[in-house]
Amino acid sequence: MLRKIVDWVDERAKVRELYKAQMVEYKVPKNLTFPYVFGVLALITFALQIVSGIVLIMYYKPVIAHAFDSANYTIMKEIDFGWLFRHIHAAGANFFLAIVYLHMFTGIYYNAYKKPRELVWIVGWVIYFVLLVTALTGYLLPWGQLSYWGTVVTTEIPASLADAPILKGFFGAIGETISVWMKGGYKLEDLALGRFFGLHVIFLPLVLLGLVGIHLFLVRAAGISNPEGYEIDKKSEPDKVVPFHPYVTLKEGAYAMWYLAIFFFFVFFYMSHFLPADNFEPADPLKTPPHIAPEWYLLGFYEVFRSIPSKFWGFVAFNLILLLLLLLPFLDFSPIKSARRRPLFFVMFIVFLISSMALTILGTMAPTPTNAKLGMFFTALVFLFFLSLPVISFLEWGWYKARGGQT
Amino acid sequence: MSAWGVVKTVFFTGLTLAFFFVIWIYNPFAHKETYELPEDVTKIIEDPKAALEGRNLFKQNCASCHSVRYDGMYLLSVETKPEWEKILKTMGRPIIEKKEGKVQVKGYYLPRDVYEAVALQDLENLKASFGKVPPDLSTIYLARGPGYLYQFILDPQKVLPGTSMPKLFFPEYDKEAPQKVAKIVAYLRSVSEPPPSEKAKRTVMGVVTVGYFVIMGVILWFYRKRLLEKMGLH
Ligand code: HEC
Ligand code: HEM
Repeated sequence: MLRKIVDWVDERAKVRELYKAQMVEYKVPKNLTFPYVFGVLALITFALQIVSGIVLIMYYKPVIAHAFDSANYTIMKEIDFGWLFRHIHAAGANFFLAIVYLHMFTGIYYNAYKKPRELVWIVGWVIYFVLLVTALTGYLLPWGQLSYWGTVVTTEIPASLADAPILKGFFGAIGETISVWMKGGYKLEDLALGRFFGLHVIFLPLVLLGLVGIHLFLVRAAGISNPEGYEIDKKSEPDKVVPFHPYVTLKEGAYAMWYLAIFFFFVFFYMSHFLPADNFEPADPLKTPPHIAPEWYLLGFYEVFRSIPSKFWGFVAFNLILLLLLLLPFLDFSPIKSARRRPLFFVMFIVFLISSMALTILGTMAPTPTNAKLGMFFTALVFLFFLSLPVISFLEWGWYKARGGQT
Repeated sequence: MSAWGVVKTVFFTGLTLAFFFVIWIYNPFAHKETYELPEDVTKIIEDPKAALEGRNLFKQNCASCHSVRYDGMYLLSVETKPEWEKILKTMGRPIIEKKEGKVQVKGYYLPRDVYEAVALQDLENLKASFGKVPPDLSTIYLARGPGYLYQFILDPQKVLPGTSMPKLFFPEYDKEAPQKVAKIVAYLRSVSEPPPSEKAKRTVMGVVTVGYFVIMGVILWFYRKRLLEKMGLH
């Protein structure tokens, strides 16, 4: 009976055909390494965020008088399993960004941003940017001390444009406009909370959903890269590719299960980082806490900003890093792909990786003069990475030509 | 995998794990205050019976200045208002407590704006005397932790110099003072932390969930291995 119903539906919907074409006949490189799983893990985390977010939105109240209590009383104490969904959502946000960072570093390592995948990378970058804004807006919602003061600091960063060496009035006006536009006024009040709420729960998730769809479509269209860094010809090298299902689906499925095991370990037993103690104190605009810093996923940029003595140039520097990340496919125009085959690039990748980590960790430390110097040093290394790419590419074009166009 | 491959894998995995360990679990570079907490005090703080005694002690010593709205505990001066009971029942929500399978109403939770409107004059009087409204203590345990609270309540000036919160316990005259303070902290803890039975349930849930995913992963892994061998793909 069931079989008949399914057959009846399939005769009309042709789902089996689609499944066969997209899952079994779709071939992917056989030599994909472990880091290729991060895209799928990001997808799973996205789903977790949406599901847990839908539960939270039923009880959360976006007005100052009720926001803190709706999160900490209604959701944490009044509603059965409310705590579970809040834990999932808070840990999920951190895991999401962690996975996306790993996914991006993987893409950089294997040069997956190069032709024909430039658009995959560019859309990925937009996802990353929107994700940061989503995290930032979500962070304000519980209206604790960290939420409030973290957002105050972040929304004041564009105002540092007023520190410009020339055209102070002009830059100042732009900075203030951005800052006021983010807050919906000069102060962080109900208007800002409502605005952040609307963005966080409906607008940004919809944008993300659309972008992720486009991202996946583009990945399919260009084909997945491979660690060896050359394009496999699926017709002439059939032994180099495998059917997506079951070869990849089951492997990544197993990894996904273990990822969820780690994730739920944190959800049940180790939430003190994801729901930090200071945020259990209701926001108090009259009481500035001693240490204010953004969340860890912004600390690298924050450290670049604060270690440079001029606010204006600090602002320019961290925005430039974001921009250079976007332009990566064009900075690195070498015909050779994958760090496996590019020793110079491999070295610079490690410089970049270690500098990013060092900047993030410096961001958690007190802003002493030594730390500011270290911050500038690692900022310089990050720029060195980006600037070295055209040079490395130039050299590699030379070798490529010398070898008669062989990669 | 080649030796070089192994080196790279170990290096990148190690670096990533070390990074997230520092950022998420223990950061040796970030400065953090620690507050001393004697062994026997810790025992009292974790004892649910002490929390019940602590609730009474709180009512006697602290409720003239502090509310604990999440536990239905309000300023004493507000609770004596003639319209109070009615306000609680019309504007509040019952705080349900499950005790040995029975459901009890422990008190009423009043939304903050409603409470602050009713208590406006009382809160302003406190502000006039102490320079600021003494905070509601519903989530203070989560925000400050047991060590801070114990030391602060024993001697506010020592922990927060210049604070207007008075010292209320004097171990010099009252031998019981440290225990009393510990019981009050136990009470504040009981407001924030789930009761032991609930905690045990969550632990079981956690172990089952994590175990489920670990085992599912292993099953998928071996199922795949067998399948691929059959298909000649491994
Ligand atoms: C006479 C009024 C008064 C009484 C009684 C009182 N407090 Fe306070 N309490 C205050 C004031 C005022 C503050 C705000 C102090 C500040 O922020 O400097 C405060 C602050 C606090 C804080 C927050 C400290 C922080 O780090 O922000 C805690 C915890 C606290 N009191 C606990 C208690 C406990 C427990 C009792 C009962 C044993 C108690 N208080 C009795 C007036 C009082
Ligand atoms: C919502 C967040 C994201 C999701 C759900 C997601 C999902 C995916 C998935 C499933 C893949 C398939 C290939 C793989 O497993 O690696 C992929 C590939 C890719 N993603 Fe993402 N991604 C996200 C964010 C990003 C970001 C922020 C970037 C970089 C700026 C990015 C860059 C790439 C690139 C370059 C590829 C191609 C990899 C290759 O072909 O080898 N993605 N993504």
